[in-house]
Amino acid sequence: MRRLVPRPALLAASTAAVAVALIPLAYLAVRTAEAGWDRVVAELWTDRVGLLALRSIGLAAVVTTACVLLGVGTAFLVTRTDLPGRRVFAVLAALPLAVPTYIAAFAWVSTLPRLEGFWPAALVLTLCSYPYVLLPVAAALRGADPAQEEVSRSLGRSGWQTFTAVTLRQIRPATAAGALLVALYVLSDFGAVSILRADTFTRAIFVAFDLGFDRTGALVLSCVLVALTVLLLTGETATRRRGARYARLGGTRRPVSRLPLGPARWPVIAVLVGIAGLALGVPAVSLGRRLAAGVSRPGALPEVLAAAGNSLTFSLAGAALTMLLALPLGLLTARAPGPLTSLLDRLAYLAHALPGVVIGLSLIFFGINVAYPLYQTWWLLALAYATLFLPLAVGAVAGAAAQSPVGLEEVARSLGRGPWTVLRTVTLPLTLPGIGAGAALVFLTGMKELPATLLLRPTGSDTLATELWTSTAVGAYAAAAPYAALLVAISALPTWLLVARSGLLDKEARA
Amino acid sequence: MSDVVLSGVVKRYGRVTALAGADVTVPSGQLTAVLGPSGCGKTTLLRCLAGFERIDAGEIRIDGRRVAGGGRQLPAHRRNIAVVPQEGALFPHLSVADNVGYGLDRAARRSDRVEEVLTLVGLAGYGPRMPHQLSGGQQQRVAVARALAPRPSVVLLDEPFSALDAGLRAGLRHDVREALRADGATGVLVTHDQGEALSVADKVVVLRDGRVIQAGTPTTVYREPVDAWVAGFVGDAVLLPAVVEQGTARTALGVLPVTGTVTDGPVTVLVRPEQVRFVAGPGTVTATVLRHDFHGHDALVGLRLADGTRITARTLDDGADWPVGDEVTVQVDGTVRAFPTQAASTTSMLVDLAA
Amino acid sequence: MPANRRIARALLAASLLTVGLAACGSGEEDTTTGPDQSADKQITVYSGRNEQLVKPLLDKFTEQTGIAVNARYANTAQLAAQLVEEGDKSPADVFLAQDAGALGTVAKQGMFSTLPETTTAKVPATYRAGNGQWVGVSARARVLAYNPDLVPADQLPASVFDLTGPAWKGKVGVAPTNASFQAFVTAIRVQHDDAKAEEFLRGLKANDPQIRDGNGKILEDVLSGTIPVGLINHYYLGEVAKEQGTTPDALKAKLHFFPGGDTGALVNVAGVGVLKRSADNPNVQKFVDFLLGTEAQTYFAEQTYEYPVIDGVPGPAYVPALADLAVPQIDLNDLDTLEATVTLIKNSGLVP
Repeated sequence: MRRLVPRPALLAASTAAVAVALIPLAYLAVRTAEAGWDRVVAELWTDRVGLLALRSIGLAAVVTTACVLLGVGTAFLVTRTDLPGRRVFAVLAALPLAVPTYIAAFAWVSTLPRLEGFWPAALVLTLCSYPYVLLPVAAALRGADPAQEEVSRSLGRSGWQTFTAVTLRQIRPATAAGALLVALYVLSDFGAVSILRADTFTRAIFVAFDLGFDRTGALVLSCVLVALTVLLLTGETATRRRGARYARLGGTRRPVSRLPLGPARWPVIAVLVGIAGLALGVPAVSLGRRLAAGVSRPGALPEVLAAAGNSLTFSLAGAALTMLLALPLGLLTARAPGPLTSLLDRLAYLAHALPGVVIGLSLIFFGINVAYPLYQTWWLLALAYATLFLPLAVGAVAGAAAQSPVGLEEVARSLGRGPWTVLRTVTLPLTLPGIGAGAALVFLTGMKELPATLLLRPTGSDTLATELWTSTAVGAYAAAAPYAALLVAISALPTWLLVARSGLLDKEARA
Repeated sequence: MSDVVLSGVVKRYGRVTALAGADVTVPSGQLTAVLGPSGCGKTTLLRCLAGFERIDAGEIRIDGRRVAGGGRQLPAHRRNIAVVPQEGALFPHLSVADNVGYGLDRAARRSDRVEEVLTLVGLAGYGPRMPHQLSGGQQQRVAVARALAPRPSVVLLDEPFSALDAGLRAGLRHDVREALRADGATGVLVTHDQGEALSVADKVVVLRDGRVIQAGTPTTVYREPVDAWVAGFVGDAVLLPAVVEQGTARTALGVLPVTGTVTDGPVTVLVRPEQVRFVAGPGTVTATVLRHDFHGHDALVGLRLADGTRITARTLDDGADWPVGDEVTVQVDGTVRAFPTQAASTTSMLVDLAA
Repeated sequence: MPANRRIARALLAASLLTVGLAACGSGEEDTTTGPDQSADKQITVYSGRNEQLVKPLLDKFTEQTGIAVNARYANTAQLAAQLVEEGDKSPADVFLAQDAGALGTVAKQGMFSTLPETTTAKVPATYRAGNGQWVGVSARARVLAYNPDLVPADQLPASVFDLTGPAWKGKVGVAPTNASFQAFVTAIRVQHDDAKAEEFLRGLKANDPQIRDGNGKILEDVLSGTIPVGLINHYYLGEVAKEQGTTPDALKAKLHFFPGGDTGALVNVAGVGVLKRSADNPNVQKFVDFLLGTEAQTYFAEQTYEYPVIDGVPGPAYVPALADLAVPQIDLNDLDTLEATVTLIKNSGLVP
């Protein structure tokens, strides 16, 4: 094994990070054990659980498929065609990332009152989460070696054949990574499924809390989500192995030739505008109407600002802590791949499909029993965000570190610099854009997070998300609208950063 | 001033043995080329020397100090060995000056050492630029300057010119050689290009299958290869079956004087194409012209002897005087080298790896 | 992408700064939010009731007594889970909950202290725990909200059990995932028996109900005419009127109180319990007494459209007085027998 990075230290730090990500699993284990075998069997061995599992898997499958189609399609249009205004469309396509599912779902039921069930939930979840596929795929499409496509065309394959045989293969790892995040997100999402009443596992877990104050039942059900996660991870790992490395040989970045859309560009634009309208327009119009219709008003400006400030602070603290934990694991994944590393990486994902309320309770358990001085401080909330979002951050760091050549670190070592100095002076500066992207993603997701925030925030601190919840719970929709707007507006900033990071905004040399 | 000595170095990757007991001595203050075909283990040798890989057996000493082997593994950054990788690998986030100053301590960075080495590689004044503003050749020069800057015991150059176009390559090769010499640096150049090795190195080490086959000056390796394979690898070679009798070899090209003492019996002899000369008028050896390979500065002419043996001759013109299909008369100048015939090589062969 | 990198750098710097600030900040904060509440005049309230509804009241309490209220707002059920998870180490002094079931759950864990008789005596026995572990502070009635355009008043059902009949097929809005619905089903079991509850749930499910996520959503759809009737709590009408800047009477939805002691007219409470560690904390006692005082009770009647639970405070303006309701004879203490209810609701297929 090449000892370029300070490996034992990284391994130790990564193990610590994974331990944080596994807190919820430890909690589930403790509570499930308390419940006893009979209770677990009684709770899980029912037709209802089987049905819920099928429906959850079905929803995850439908949404993931739709997100892959929409994400890959849009990514292709904005990176590989002469679509007019493609930078604008790139930003529009990524912006739904800033819209929490509970806002989107609420906007939809406000607009179409009879909307409910599986397919509407699938629609809203797709509209909110396809950027998870779009962004990595767009970056991969920009980074892919055009020479491979040219070879394919020169060997007599048509454009479409080349796309399916070469291009799709080149972007497969990026697609699979994005799809995994979408699938896990769908399993964990509560906002859309509860408002649109799609009876999934997560909803059943919340119902167990809300209806019966039945913590044990809820936690036992959560174990099934962990099992489903293991299945998904196994599937994604298999793709990853087959997808191995599609690195570009040689150094120079050559602009790809863009596919001329010709007269097809008008329907294409219409479709993209339509998607943006559904994903962004519907929530915007709905919020506007609510604001106009109601007389309730949000708290005074200082109160709104305090909530915005808390949202920023908690999410930034969460992003910082998450990046701190993700960095060693990401570097390890990129620099010292092996069975141990990939085990650690996979373990970091395990709790990712658990709903926020379970994460919240497990961190309460952790805070009360292990880290009492941190309990109900923002440290614990930041730790919860780290637990929830570690995989997002690890992926970003590993991706960036994998792109910066190992050779640079070797040269630095040969010039007499020790592992830590190399890490500080070469690896970190080169991984910085990836760290930034990961931080932006975690920050953004933290801004939107509600259930764990409600349980863990310092007593008396409101955030935009909690204020939004507070207002909508009593039907004060007009009071809620400014919080929602502010939440989306602030989240739009890191979204823009992510778009820029995937290179979608770069001006390119004329080919 | 430091000698680098590798003795019996073994490196395995799983079941594959990359180095099977390599012995190499790199004399201090000189440039030693490690030459071999792809997969011969030369890059592994460089990586072991640099400290990027841990060796499985043997030892490496620099200036008498053991840096690897015998349970010891001095990490790369303590070996005082600087690497110039194939693609230059400049730090993209640092300016040229910061790249060059990377291996220097704070005081040295403020001295004029940076400008000094930049001048050595012909890039005085380029300090403030960023790597992406430089051409490929300039990037390689900066990489060399960066390696030289901290005055390492050894500079390792890993095929540093292979990505450049031919014209640039020759010039840069020469400049780098001069820069190393001017700085009194010890260098190891890993390459698969025999022309490069022969032209710039003070010493050439030929590596095959993880073993050193021959080590010596470029002239020795070219003129006195230890076996037919080396003969073919370091240059164009005509290898002919022959029988030695009392210092002369009877071949299809006539009876030729043999260098050194060779026991009588069947051998393979090496004739360099430049030894084959076209002669006017009748002679002992006639051949039919098969083809021309024009190289600009010279040309190789493929010939078939009367008995069907194929040989190559080098001429300094374009070879147009001997059209394809013509009968010509040739003669061999100078002495030839004889190798014991291996069981396998019964017929003559033309090894032309360099072309 | 140098601009990009600059942004990334800035973001990273901001993050690190935040962590730094957090480190400094939390040091100071520990003295206020940490578990060791000294005798300084401050109490910590876990409020399952909405901030919009109770914050003005808490502010009034602070104004009058000088006791700061450190309030933690969340969903009642999740706060109950949080309290149970925290156990003895809970920083909470008081749990202010939306319904009796949640209070019962925490009480069952033995986490509440017994309230002094002087406090509980203010509230009728129907609206507090028999063992004095919690006490109701406001009451809410189950009602059938209806849209008079779609259902004339003379066609309203006499009993909630009529809603399973063919006349109401596809017309009834329910929120079966809501704790208020669960309390109502428990009430059926208490007043009648499990078989009756099961029969009702099965009938409801078979009658193609309009399932909504919460009471508010049901009322909204009744107002818009999307569904004719819906089972909700009475005060939602007041909330909607407030949001639309009008009075409940002006709205396009009316409330039907089931007559004759029907289970459909169940009156549940929002209440309060005091954690054991704060049993002798005078500030906490003052808070509970404040909630049961005339001012707070009037606030509940006027601002949250709930029924007061003490004598001498008039109820909300647009609904019949509590005393005039034909409330079913149910002991709210029995409402914490949740498990069987939840099983019934789950088995009915109304919830996932």
